[in-house]
Amino acid sequence: MSLLTVENLRVTFDTETGPVQAVRGVSFSLGRERLGIVGESGSGKTMTGRSVLRLIRPPGRIEADRMEFDGQDLMRIPETGMRALRGRRIAMVMQDPKFSLNPVMRVGEQLTEGLRRRDRLGRAEAVRKALAALEAVQIRDPERVMQAYPHELSGGMGQRVMIAMMLIPEPDLLIADEPTSALDVTVQAEVLQILDTLVRDRGMGLIFVSHDLRLVARFCDRVLVMYRGRIVEELPARELMAARHPYTRGLLNCLPRIGGARGPLPVLDRSGDWADD
Amino acid sequence: MTDRPAIEIDRLDVTFAAKGRAVRAVQGVSLAVARRESFGLVGESGSGKSTILRAICGLAPVSGGAIRLGGDPLPARRGKDFSTRVQMVFQDPYASLHPRHTIDRTLSEPLAIHGIGDTDARVVRALQDVGLPAAFRFRYPHQLSGGQRQRVAIARALMLNPQILLLDEPTSALDASVQAEVLNLLTRLREERGLTFLMVSHDLAVIDHMCDRILVMQHGRAVEEIAHADLAAGRMQTDYARSLFAASADRMLS
Amino acid sequence: MTALTDWLTDPDPKSRAQARLGQAWLSWLRLRRNPLAMTGLVIVVALLVLAAFAPVFATHDPIAQNLGQRLLPPGTPGHWLGTDDFGRDIWSRIVHGARITLYIVALVALTAPVLGLVIGTVAGYAGGWVDTVLMRITDIFMAFPRLILALALVAVLGPGIFNAVLAIALTAWPPYARVARAETLTVRSSDYIAAVRLQGAGAARIVWGHVMPMCLPSVIIRVTLDMAGVILIAAGLGFLGLGAQPPLPEWGLMISSGRKFLFDQWWVATMPGLAIFIVSLGFNLLGDGLRDVLDPRSAGR
Ligand SMILES: Nc1ncnc2c1ncn2[C@@H]1O[C@H](COP(=O)(O)OP(=O)(O)OP(=O)(O)O)[C@@H](O)[C@H]1O
Ligand SMILES: Nc1ncnc2c1ncn2[C@@H]1O[C@H](COP(=O)(O)OP(=O)(O)OP(=O)(O)O)[C@@H](O)[C@H]1O
Ligand SMILES: [Mg+2]
Ligand SMILES: [Mg+2]
Repeated sequence: MSLLTVENLRVTFDTETGPVQAVRGVSFSLGRERLGIVGESGSGKTMTGRSVLRLIRPPGRIEADRMEFDGQDLMRIPETGMRALRGRRIAMVMQDPKFSLNPVMRVGEQLTEGLRRRDRLGRAEAVRKALAALEAVQIRDPERVMQAYPHELSGGMGQRVMIAMMLIPEPDLLIADEPTSALDVTVQAEVLQILDTLVRDRGMGLIFVSHDLRLVARFCDRVLVMYRGRIVEELPARELMAARHPYTRGLLNCLPRIGGARGPLPVLDRSGDWADD
Repeated sequence: MTDRPAIEIDRLDVTFAAKGRAVRAVQGVSLAVARRESFGLVGESGSGKSTILRAICGLAPVSGGAIRLGGDPLPARRGKDFSTRVQMVFQDPYASLHPRHTIDRTLSEPLAIHGIGDTDARVVRALQDVGLPAAFRFRYPHQLSGGQRQRVAIARALMLNPQILLLDEPTSALDASVQAEVLNLLTRLREERGLTFLMVSHDLAVIDHMCDRILVMQHGRAVEEIAHADLAAGRMQTDYARSLFAASADRMLS
Repeated sequence: MTALTDWLTDPDPKSRAQARLGQAWLSWLRLRRNPLAMTGLVIVVALLVLAAFAPVFATHDPIAQNLGQRLLPPGTPGHWLGTDDFGRDIWSRIVHGARITLYIVALVALTAPVLGLVIGTVAGYAGGWVDTVLMRITDIFMAFPRLILALALVAVLGPGIFNAVLAIALTAWPPYARVARAETLTVRSSDYIAAVRLQGAGAARIVWGHVMPMCLPSVIIRVTLDMAGVILIAAGLGFLGLGAQPPLPEWGLMISSGRKFLFDQWWVATMPGLAIFIVSLGFNLLGDGLRDVLDPRSAGR
């Protein structure tokens, strides 16, 4: 049975200058697997992820024919019910860790807050768990990082703190929005390994939003390619590098390669049919 | 004078004081970037790459070693003279533009600080140089896409005509097509203006495309310096550099 | 009209002024969608109009006594809100009192937030001992209950509207300093501040041009929300005889003089009380609405 089913999801922002459709009829279903979402900037990847948690601020609104998580209708659950789901059963790693962490609160406090309040753990136990989570994401000096403020972390450390924070409550579904864009390849591999283990052993569902086509091709099971709020192509991740759709091909062509020519890189050509709505 | 390296870093130490404990973010790193060269910094997350760039700009507490520009040691307070020689492009285009200033204000601020006149013409030209339509001039950052913002950030860095650009992961927040646009833009500007780049990136393919030499870092220390030709050929001395290379196998030209 | 709105909503403004007006227009549109905020705005504008044209709206002289017409109940022809114990028309007094209320509100709104903003941003940006000293001073001011501190100050300075305003302003700034400092701390380590520093900008320029604009929205919101409290404290001082002095038609003073007849002639104290209530509510609703409009996070991308 699938963990998450989304049918015809639409996200509209009623702005002062008229409605803006950020997501225009997205449908997919997710089992206990790794689903990648790729696409250019502004194509609605983040908004799709946030809709699942109903975390779209006004003036945005969410409509869907169906949005079901583990048998629960996400469109109908009252806000209190959603709050119980968020973080605990569905977690989201936000795209901009520096923006999502509280800038004037120590990392340790932010990590243990949920454990102490939600799981009613004692201080020592919560700290122990938080340290373990930081170690798991390859933070070298977890004790120091616990005492640090977010601005004292490097870009990649902030990202890993965010991942650790989301994994502590052991969610059933993790939505990871660009979780590894600021990580070097070896640390990235370790972090992906953790996610992979969770999917395999605990049966967590993972939505993995990323710009990095090659990473998605390597790591995910299935990929959705988004363009201007729609899914233009859905394919097994293994076949992503050999995708046929001109948009996907266009994106792939833009990538530099080690040992490639130094000349100007090709950029996306938007003159094809696919570009008109 | 001309054969003096544009940037010379000699056994640099940077130590942050965090809660009574010293955090040695950079330990004894040396590097030299020649004029018009493009030098890459890669390495583990948290290994001090950004800190080196910030140290050059006087934004990090240097506790030892020396930084020289064109052979001259830098004054402790960087001052206005420094800002006309070195500028930095930050990693996150969403965080590096003031959200309540128009593009026009952002670009004219450096001119105002340095008392340079002819603001209108210069701002329009700067937009043109980075390939943004002049109509964008009075927009706010939230009306621009990530790639357009990064172009504005680059334009801002170029307002004072610096010779050296420090680039901290300039494309890691951008998608593939926008990354290509920004990289092409940087390459073009470097050719046109004879700029020197010191650039951080996690993507070895980007580094390979842009840089003549790279320095690999781990735990705040320099591990190995690699020339461009050796990178593509996979000729490395240390295990750490090899592991980075191996983990980037999917970025190789097949 | 459409030409004007097109001009305002042009995504590519042609000039600085157009961009700024365009932003203001969008804020106005956002505010307009919020009915409660619009109610607040209507109340505040009504107060402004009432105060500006007080002689026109007032049916009688607010100070002239007419002992033959003492304590007439509301609904009496010619005195539809009734009269007080000196036979003065309550409606006219409330209308003229609006000027005093507005005077107090405007003075406090001009002084306290500016002081708080400067202290908060400087403390937050400078950090170190500057921060410690400034924030301890703020804490000391915060530690006293506001009304008590205002009372003490007025007792020292002597009663009167201006002294009351001074006392209120001196007690009102600490929360603004706190808000501004908190905002500054989040802004200080951001990349856009690092970028201007790198361009050689001095501390004054950064605080004034780059930090303050980020703190302004939260301070403005706080000010509108606080205005209700300011009106109440001013009324409280008036009530205790330490603010405006008789025969000025200040609302707090009116309640104070009406309390003697509260059980038999309830309207004498209740009418100005209602006025205070409505105006306070207006500012509160407006403040709440502004929170949605000015909060940078709710601003559309
Ligand atoms: N508050 C808002 N008002 C109007 N439009 C908005 C708002 N927030 C987002 N959008 C629009 O929604 C669209 C989708 O945005 P989204 O953040 O999902 O893109 P994305 O695919 O995650 O891009 P990126 O890769 O840059 O993160 C964008 O075109 C954006 O302009
Ligand atoms: N203001 C600060 N106070 C204390 N420690 C800091 C501060 N800024 C950075 N550090 C520490 O310095 C170390 C190096 O950080 P830096 O940002 O240079 O890493 P980086 O190599 O750029 O990593 P990434 O690739 O993740 O961005 C980290 O351990 C970080 O926690
Ligand atoms: Mg996104
Ligand atoms: Mg960094």
